[in-house]
Amino acid sequence: MGVDFEPKIVAFMCNWCTYAGADSAGVARLPSPANILPIRVMCSGRVSPEMVMRAFRAGADGVLVMGCHIGDCHYSAGNHRTIKRVPLVRNLLGYVGVNPERLELQWVSASEAPRFVEVTKAFTAKIRQLGPLAEEVAV
Amino acid sequence: MSEIEEIRKLVAERLTKGDAKGTTIDGVVALCKSSDGIAPYVFQKGDDLSGLEISPKYPVMTLVSKLHKMFPTIRLGVVARGCDERAYIEMAKRNQIDPDRLYILGFACTAEDAQTCHCLAPYPKQLVVGTPPAPGPINPLVEKYDAMSLGERRAFWKQQFNKCIKCYGCRNICPECFCEACAMEDMAWVEPGLLAPPFPTFHMIRAMHMASRCIACRECENTCPAHIPLTVLYDLMRRDITTLLGYTPGADIAAKPPLSVNLDEAPLRVGAGH
Repeated sequence: MGVDFEPKIVAFMCNWCTYAGADSAGVARLPSPANILPIRVMCSGRVSPEMVMRAFRAGADGVLVMGCHIGDCHYSAGNHRTIKRVPLVRNLLGYVGVNPERLELQWVSASEAPRFVEVTKAFTAKIRQLGPLAEEVAV
Repeated sequence: MSEIEEIRKLVAERLTKGDAKGTTIDGVVALCKSSDGIAPYVFQKGDDLSGLEISPKYPVMTLVSKLHKMFPTIRLGVVARGCDERAYIEMAKRNQIDPDRLYILGFACTAEDAQTCHCLAPYPKQLVVGTPPAPGPINPLVEKYDAMSLGERRAFWKQQFNKCIKCYGCRNICPECFCEACAMEDMAWVEPGLLAPPFPTFHMIRAMHMASRCIACRECENTCPAHIPLTVLYDLMRRDITTLLGYTPGADIAAKPPLSVNLDEAPLRVGAGH
């Protein structure tokens, strides 16, 4: 895994906050990593563990779940489910031997275009360091 | 009087006199010995109770749930172990059993059961018959787990899950697996036609669904024809649910399922780092 490795990252973004944030980042011409494959969901609470696992199985080296900050959820408490679920999935990944750092939860609001860039850049850099998932999982 | 004789006597008494409040009971769910072996059975008033058995361990609450759904007014009694009572608690709060229509006649497990099941509470809270044995030891695999590296864990589970013949026995026997549509049969998440099923996603789906539900009855592991130590994974998830959300599955019927309610009702105990 040299520095040439470009990770594939699936990012689940909530329709109301993060997706709009990503949009405004684009409108403001703030460059964000092209490694991110955005998947728009109506709420970060919609992201089931099955969706995360399918992303990994489909070749993602990292999965980023993004939604509204706690208190800002369009559905008032959808992200409450997310904040409880993601740590559990992370732990479970660790238990079966996949680095839990490959899954991350981040809150990005519609007005936080710079934060969107910051978060996606940092996560991409982290996954680039970790290397391809296929190499890690191949025993 | 032996434990089993005492239980038979109490069941006969309940069938004639009704439950603790004197409300009539239509039947008592317990195990029954016949020429074909031992199987769950609904004993009714006047039945011969000499065939009533308490062993081997069997998740009787699944049958109670089915009967409650099939017959919306039926009132049942059930002869139950500690794990059955815990199963009941998690099922009742998810609307699978009506607590108002169930009388639990609890009995204590033997010390040997507690040992083999690594059981932390080998007797029901509503204990009627028997003396509570000491809790069993924690599974040594769970105890040493934190010291294992990611690679070791992966190698361990890869070897274990490769034995899976995808019989769904773990799901079928589980008292807490009652969804009508199962994610483990959904082609969106599990590609059909693969044996062993996709590693590690297939078993991760079940482990995630078991978090906040698994009451550690060990039925999945006992039933698994491939002898996969499934409950090691579920015990770790149980531990996390307790650390993260302060919730112990099967402990308190009034505690809401923490993953299904918002933070005000079931807050995170330790910061998830976000």
